[in-house]
Amino acid sequence: MTLQLRYKGSTNVPVEVEGITPCSLRDKTLAEIEQCTIFHGNDKVPLAEFFDVSGTASNEEMQWLGDLSGVHWIGAKMLRGKISIHGNGGRHIGSELQGGEIDVEGNAGDWVGAEMHGGTIHVRGNAGHLIGAAYRGSARGMTGGRILIDGNVGNEIGHTMRRGLLAVGGNAGDLAAFNMLAGTILVFGESGIRHGAGMRRGTLGFFGNNSPPLLPSFQHACRYQPEFVPLLFAQLKGHDFVVPEHLFTTEFDLYHGDLIEGGRGEILTVAA
Amino acid sequence: MTESLFKISGGYVYDPKNEIDGQVKDLWVQDGKIVEPPTDPTTRPSKTLNATGFVVMPGGIDMHCHIAGPKVNTARKMRPEEKRQAEPVERSAISHSGTMGSVPSTFATGYKYAGLGYTTAFDAAVPPLSARHAHEEFEDTPCIDKGFYVLMGNNHYIMKAIQEHEPERLRSFVAWLLGASKGFAAKLVNPGGVEVWKHHQAGNVNTVDQEVDFYNVTPRHIIREMSRTVDELRLPHSVHIHCNNLGLPGNWTTTLETMQALEGHRGHITHIQFHSYGGGDGDEDTLNSKVTPLAEYVNSHENITVDVGQVMFGETTSMTGDGPLGYFLHNIYGTKWFSSDTELESGCGIAPIKYRNKSLVHALQWAIGLEWYLQVHDPWRVVMSTDHPNGGSFLAYPQIIRLLMDRTYRQDVLKTVNPGIRERSSLPDLDREYTLNEIAIITRAGPAKILGLTNKGHLGIGADADITIYAPHENKETMFELPRYVIKSGQVIVEDGEIRETLNGHTLHVAPDYDRDVEENIADWFEQYYSIRFRNYPVSDGYLHKPQKVACRSNI
Repeated sequence: MTLQLRYKGSTNVPVEVEGITPCSLRDKTLAEIEQCTIFHGNDKVPLAEFFDVSGTASNEEMQWLGDLSGVHWIGAKMLRGKISIHGNGGRHIGSELQGGEIDVEGNAGDWVGAEMHGGTIHVRGNAGHLIGAAYRGSARGMTGGRILIDGNVGNEIGHTMRRGLLAVGGNAGDLAAFNMLAGTILVFGESGIRHGAGMRRGTLGFFGNNSPPLLPSFQHACRYQPEFVPLLFAQLKGHDFVVPEHLFTTEFDLYHGDLIEGGRGEILTVAA
Repeated sequence: MTESLFKISGGYVYDPKNEIDGQVKDLWVQDGKIVEPPTDPTTRPSKTLNATGFVVMPGGIDMHCHIAGPKVNTARKMRPEEKRQAEPVERSAISHSGTMGSVPSTFATGYKYAGLGYTTAFDAAVPPLSARHAHEEFEDTPCIDKGFYVLMGNNHYIMKAIQEHEPERLRSFVAWLLGASKGFAAKLVNPGGVEVWKHHQAGNVNTVDQEVDFYNVTPRHIIREMSRTVDELRLPHSVHIHCNNLGLPGNWTTTLETMQALEGHRGHITHIQFHSYGGGDGDEDTLNSKVTPLAEYVNSHENITVDVGQVMFGETTSMTGDGPLGYFLHNIYGTKWFSSDTELESGCGIAPIKYRNKSLVHALQWAIGLEWYLQVHDPWRVVMSTDHPNGGSFLAYPQIIRLLMDRTYRQDVLKTVNPGIRERSSLPDLDREYTLNEIAIITRAGPAKILGLTNKGHLGIGADADITIYAPHENKETMFELPRYVIKSGQVIVEDGEIRETLNGHTLHVAPDYDRDVEENIADWFEQYYSIRFRNYPVSDGYLHKPQKVACRSNI
């Protein structure tokens, strides 16, 4: 039976579970897993104080159950394996993820996949700000892997992103791809303002009905049907991500920028 | 048994000031001081620490580091990525948690210094306007005595007094400023250059004879007048000088001219490694060592002392009151950068830096630092420093000690760095090895003497009972990185690297006398130009945590 961690806490103080990953628990007994240290605020407590633990981690899979919106760092630094969150998750889900899969049935907080290097995170609901971003002070955000958010996201997604794919099925806030170094961000709903500010390379796609206003440091290049776009969409569909069919055949306007940083980045918007 | 009498018995004592070089000796401690052995042979101490077989030295003194104040705090905020990656300092029943990285948090700074056997440290650059902040951070820096040097080299009032040839007003102002900020010494950082930086794009002074806008003074004027003023005030420490043109190829001539500008007055040239470069035209490819001619000058001029500012390989954060230097580093390395202007007083530049052993420039900086230790004949006039964190962390001191005491190890490390330094530095030809006694001088006795701290840096009667006890080891890095015991004010605060007590050390400051009539003039100046009212500026005695006034010298 897959390892199950059912949340039984009722605290407003953050619970932090960094290090509780399928591969780190693989060789542990149930009793040992229950005694793994987590944080409740600044107190170190055993995992069993907040979770009912059952099953085994030998297959490198684990399920988190309950309303985990106050539980943070689920799957952080995971190397491999699979995590399913049946409900809402807190902040920093899959932070610095190296590999494996994380699937969130509900909503997730801020910093999903921040500075991740590989693997896949799929959030079926909404997520917060700074998805795939660099932590404050860091030189780069996510450097690989795939983040798929079916719902809406907040501001500054892909902040200083270096590589990888970030796709948002719903709406996005402001400042997507701020200081982006490279990588791909696709937003299929509406979005806010000032996207791509300071981006050096990389690709942004805004595929909602209303294209967002772009900064004056982005310059229109052409209107065309890039060949890579349908391939990218097909790949997303293969990961259970909904892509509107009309986008496979539509034309896009291509903008180059941010010209302040050399103008090697590109933004695609749906041709009006 | 006598209450509070503490005996440290049987250790090999290294106390250079009292000419004790590894002799087996007992130390007696009472009320935080070294005391005479009891004359009554039946007197028994309340506590005895058996130091048989161990090396006993006074507590270490770091006379030039950056551990408090606004620049340090800004650097902490600038480097969250370092703090996330570094091993955290866990809290215990008696100690606070903290963070490391190149700029440790306040509590961690105190614990780590103590863990290294250091019991006193001085922050080398605090704008007097931010003195209150520095004192607040000191209150959260446990285990060590501390103080700071007050930035004065670009202070408008000082430059105006020099411009108007008013030495008495200058003297009174310097004394007032030290007393008002509760600082310990006068610091010049790129004298005049920071002011020029504020007025021109990428501005700086290029020589000690270049005039500063609006004041018609030159760095040479500032250095000469300030060194004379500090001597006239008989401050415990001489003027503490960060020369112009730090880090630039060919800057050794500026350093030599700075020494000459002292005109015989006392002067401490700090992190001199960064000021000892040959070459020219700002071209790093021409960089070479000019330690030999500078060290010859130091060797023949007893008014000059130096600390090294040793570069160690690895990641660190440069922080300086030298605003244009921060900009220079940011341009070279393309890293993030912080710059600030402390209105009429100073500037500040912060930028991360990574010293790489395969880089010719960085390897040369490393070699030049070691050359300084090895080419100054009198160890009492050269002090160990990394200019923490600019050249590296203070935690690198044990490695520096090993490099100085073990020439085989030094040659081995030399083989791993960029080979280009062999033609540009004399380090490969230097085979001097430091003795334990000399290490005791450059890490405690020497800085205490240079700073005028008569109660520190030695183990004679009346000295502060700040004592470090090491287990001898063939590998001197191992020996010095983990003292067996560290004793502060007579209490064992560290045992095998574990914090046992977290007493708060003293804040050391000076309060020289001055002509009180000058205050009216200073008050007018404040009301005209400062963003803060005159009466709100001075830090009161009550604001300090455990203040200790250090007396001016009776003579120079």
